[in-house]
Amino acid sequence: MKNRSEQRIFIATFLAPALLLFTLFVAIPGVRALGYSLRRWDGLSTPVYVGFKNFATLFRDSDLFLTALRHNLFLMAVGGSLTLLLALFFAAVLHRRVRGAALYRVAFFFPNVIASVAVALLWVLLYSTTNFGVVNGLLFHLKDALAAAGIAWPAGWTLPFPFVDSKYVIYSIVPMIVWTATGFYMVLFLAAMENIPETYYEAATLDGASPFAQFRHITFPLIREVFTVGLVFLVIGSLKFFDAIWVMENQWPTKDSHVLATLLYQKVFTEYNVGYGSAVAVLLFVLVFLATLLTLRLSRKEALEY
Amino acid sequence: MVSAGAACLAIALCGCDALRRIPSDAGDIKIVEAAVFEGGYGIEWHRKIARNYSEERAADRVCVELWGDPRVAEKIKPRLLRGDPPDLFLMLGLPVWMLIADGKLRDFNAALEKPAYGTATRWRDLFIPGTLDMFASDGKVYALPSAFGAWACWYDARMFRRHGWTVPKTWSEFDALCRAIRKAGVEPIAFQGKYPNYGWFTFVTLIQRCGGLAAINRINRFEPNAFSHPDVVRAARLTQEMARNHFQRGAMAMTHTESQLQFVNGQAAMIWCGIWLENEMKSSTPPGFEMRCFNVPAVEGGKGNPKLFNGMGAEWIFVPSDARYPEEAQDFARYLVSPINAPDMGASIGVISPMRGATPRSAVSPALQSVLDMIDNAPGIFSVRADALFLEWTQEVMQPSLSALLRGESTPETFCRRLDEGIAAACANPDAIIPPYVSYDPAQFGETP
Repeated sequence: MKNRSEQRIFIATFLAPALLLFTLFVAIPGVRALGYSLRRWDGLSTPVYVGFKNFATLFRDSDLFLTALRHNLFLMAVGGSLTLLLALFFAAVLHRRVRGAALYRVAFFFPNVIASVAVALLWVLLYSTTNFGVVNGLLFHLKDALAAAGIAWPAGWTLPFPFVDSKYVIYSIVPMIVWTATGFYMVLFLAAMENIPETYYEAATLDGASPFAQFRHITFPLIREVFTVGLVFLVIGSLKFFDAIWVMENQWPTKDSHVLATLLYQKVFTEYNVGYGSAVAVLLFVLVFLATLLTLRLSRKEALEY
Repeated sequence: MVSAGAACLAIALCGCDALRRIPSDAGDIKIVEAAVFEGGYGIEWHRKIARNYSEERAADRVCVELWGDPRVAEKIKPRLLRGDPPDLFLMLGLPVWMLIADGKLRDFNAALEKPAYGTATRWRDLFIPGTLDMFASDGKVYALPSAFGAWACWYDARMFRRHGWTVPKTWSEFDALCRAIRKAGVEPIAFQGKYPNYGWFTFVTLIQRCGGLAAINRINRFEPNAFSHPDVVRAARLTQEMARNHFQRGAMAMTHTESQLQFVNGQAAMIWCGIWLENEMKSSTPPGFEMRCFNVPAVEGGKGNPKLFNGMGAEWIFVPSDARYPEEAQDFARYLVSPINAPDMGASIGVISPMRGATPRSAVSPALQSVLDMIDNAPGIFSVRADALFLEWTQEVMQPSLSALLRGESTPETFCRRLDEGIAAACANPDAIIPPYVSYDPAQFGETP
């Protein structure tokens, strides 16, 4: 009995600091945000209870919230799919022990260790319309090369192309996401693949299975759980996406470029509409929660043991 | 053991910056806390003035402790909420009208009736007409400008001389100049496209050029369809034509620093900007660059006096109603913005005083001298107040609509209609704060009413 009591104290001692921090910095602010979402408040005066008016405003008064959500879903669908596919591909290739695999692993993972703001600034420079923008520089060379070959440059494609113009930034950000995130997921998948016993592949090879068939019938089923974790990370990350848009838009995102987190920030800290911003935050929480549940449910399958 | 630890902690905290910034009275000395936004102008000059003021008021046991930070607004907001703000703050980024409506700011009226430091003239009478209007309501002035702001077109006089280009007097001449510049292989106008509001002030000035102050008054009174008036639509059309024909290629994807670098590096011949441009770009401006400015040219057939310009007070000073020493804080503001300190402000940080004639030509650079020429030549200034009053309209209506106009994606008529619809919605919002508006008198500003 005494032992059990001591064990409980022991567990509580280890849990308490984390629980305290979580309560102070996540749970209490979260509950307060829920409270603010039901109030009209400019952050300075006394808040006034307005019920669900802020939530109604999100959907009724403008399509800003839905546009921002659509941008999140676009980044999730396009950026996320490309990231996962490329990560799986590179992990599978490196798993086959290609020459220089260690170097590739470091190279692919490298963008992940750079701060996201620095990555965004780097891509702003790459996309720049001034004379040091690398991407536009390459496009100018391509245009010249095509002209030399007698091929006309498509009409209406004026160079330099304004990649980080608000109108295009949501598309221009996709290569940046893929470049940054692929390495992380690749390492995640590769670690799972390296736990698969080599004998499975040897047997499959003896049976004449192609590399693709081996991937389909051995590798992927055996890393499915890790893939699901990756998918959940990606869904959460896509819905909480903020910093790259914030940097590329120089802290002035517009309707063309807003995602939910930038909309939330702008409403609270630029327009001082704390109630509306908190309503966005509450819906963002609900969306992340539901999306995570849905992802886990859809990818639920009996785990394979080996 | 515990008390020793507490003592160590107390000593450590006493030395820490956070506590130093909330001064407590040392004996019977009144320590006035002043918080200043640390931006392009820095805070060294303000610190010097605070020291001088403290020395002058030493006999009265008044001392100003001044601190600054680029994120000063974020630090002050929680202190405003808990009723413990600094005695004075000079900054951007606060919802000023919300603060006024919530009674959190103290008006400067009593201080404005006193003589300005260094003269026998009433302080209020020294300000350039219009510079006290931005945050005035019901005859009360809630914020005081410490600098003068104006909108102008900047160019490199050396480049103009080399090519034989002259400063345009009319919009047609401006258009012809832009064509000549492009023909010479230079981009005519650099533009801060990532911030479309840089186009707003040129558009506003063109509204005055086309429709006179009557058009500005209609807009500032939030009259229905004020933006859809034919004079305003014409101004929108001129703005769009300028953007479509003469903006540097790729400008809509450039930040303010990128585009301003294009200008000072000679890639583009002109740029529209406020008078902070020279100071903002001083570390990047090459030797020999002769930065000068000119006012928005007259529009042929327009009703507005072309000598007027879009100007306003800037670098606003506030004294909160919860200040511990509001009288002393306002007195320090009267000292900071005074004829005796204006020459040094011009010479030290390149700021033009909001007081007429207080900044001598000899104290400022040739670039700012060209601004002084504009001020001396103008019977007054004007501005539009919607962007300061309706933050949501500015973010969600004005900026995207202006961006679409500049890109050529919406017609001037559609652009103006969107602005009107947005203003109507903003005015209908029960939370909107709409202070009474005192109209500009066109006759007083040299226009035919």
